[in-house]
Amino acid sequence: MAASIGAVVCRALHSRRHGKFLSIGRGLFSGARCLVAEGETHFGFQTVSETEKGEKVYHVFESVAKKYDIMNDSMSLGIHRLWKDILLHQMNPYPGTQLLDVAGGTGDIAFRFINYVRSQWEHQIRQKLKSHQNLSWQEISKSYQEEELKLPGGSQVVVCDINKEMLKVGKQKAQHLGYSEGLSWVVGNAEELPFNDSKFDVYTIAFGIRNVTHIDQALQEAYRVLKPGGRFLCLEFSQVNNPLFSRLYDLYSFQVIPVLGEIIAGDWKSYQYLVESIRHFPAQEEFKAMIEDAGFLKVEYRNLTSGIVAIHSGFKL
Amino acid sequence: MRGWYGSRTLASVLLCRQPPPSGAGAAAAAAHRRSPGAAARRHASDRQTGQGQPQAFDPALLELLVCPLSKKPLRYEASTNELINKELGIAYPVIDGIPNMIPQAARMIDRKAQDEEPKQT
Repeated sequence: MAASIGAVVCRALHSRRHGKFLSIGRGLFSGARCLVAEGETHFGFQTVSETEKGEKVYHVFESVAKKYDIMNDSMSLGIHRLWKDILLHQMNPYPGTQLLDVAGGTGDIAFRFINYVRSQWEHQIRQKLKSHQNLSWQEISKSYQEEELKLPGGSQVVVCDINKEMLKVGKQKAQHLGYSEGLSWVVGNAEELPFNDSKFDVYTIAFGIRNVTHIDQALQEAYRVLKPGGRFLCLEFSQVNNPLFSRLYDLYSFQVIPVLGEIIAGDWKSYQYLVESIRHFPAQEEFKAMIEDAGFLKVEYRNLTSGIVAIHSGFKL
Repeated sequence: MRGWYGSRTLASVLLCRQPPPSGAGAAAAAAHRRSPGAAARRHASDRQTGQGQPQAFDPALLELLVCPLSKKPLRYEASTNELINKELGIAYPVIDGIPNMIPQAARMIDRKAQDEEPKQT
């Protein structure tokens, strides 16, 4: 309980300071990128400089990369798979969609996207078969073969992450599971994406945006790289709305998760950072406002598991 | 006797060993349906084991990638395995087939190397 009160106080202090330094920092950043304004931000419950946060976050993910998937399963009791499945259902991509998955590290969203697009394609073929019973078997087997050579409709997914260790793990996973076509891996910073304007149909960032030092810059970059009509989707931990459940959740977060981190990944501090960073991330409404500030329209969110995570969605129109 | 022969045909269709010579729109269809699946499976395993160049950079990415600083297109230099932004004089490394587009990771190309470049273009 003391921790949660501390968290509230911390958040109040930091959000005010954060706002002031952000506006100064942004002005200076537009001039010379080499000079860093020593604005302060939070790394979990610690106050650190903005450059330090980037490095600290990098080290956190570098050290947990190999155990990332196992830890996700044990911490969330496998529920993170459901959250990601729901994200894909909300995205509902059709074959031909160009997806940019930022902070996509180990590729969970990318693989789900590929499966979804393939099954949509199979569904379409089956519908066609129902109405064209007189197609010869040769034609049908040909369509099966085409499907394997590239993703249906020319769909493509680019996984971008700032941490090359996470991408390495992701690429190995892809090879192991047999995903190769239509999938690309790029090391890049969400605040400075190495892509041209209006390139992607969908931009997703799952459990990554709270680790970004300048969230508003990441949102602006998301707006830039999306095509008009493109969709922004963010799956992130958020604030629990039920007070009783919130207490249980705090207890679980601060007592159980770091211990699991120590046992499974041998890294208490990284998982301590994880739960603290969740507390510092803005609540649903505040994050919605930030997304609207970046220029997105029809911004909405939906809570999953009573607000433990939320999916925010916006369109570039 | 005939009943036994009939069930044998059905069994072979189900097990897909040999499509029986007579009668079989359904059996040939079943056999044919299996083969694309098998071809696809073989294809997938080929991809897994015999990947030609797992470390090579995929040129299709070149259409998408730009320099994160200037947003200008890049040139892929196969000899050094780098993506070069000539304007700013920086080169982004490609490690294990994954391009590293973080400005801090980029290398400054010195004047001498820049003079050599016109030879290659």
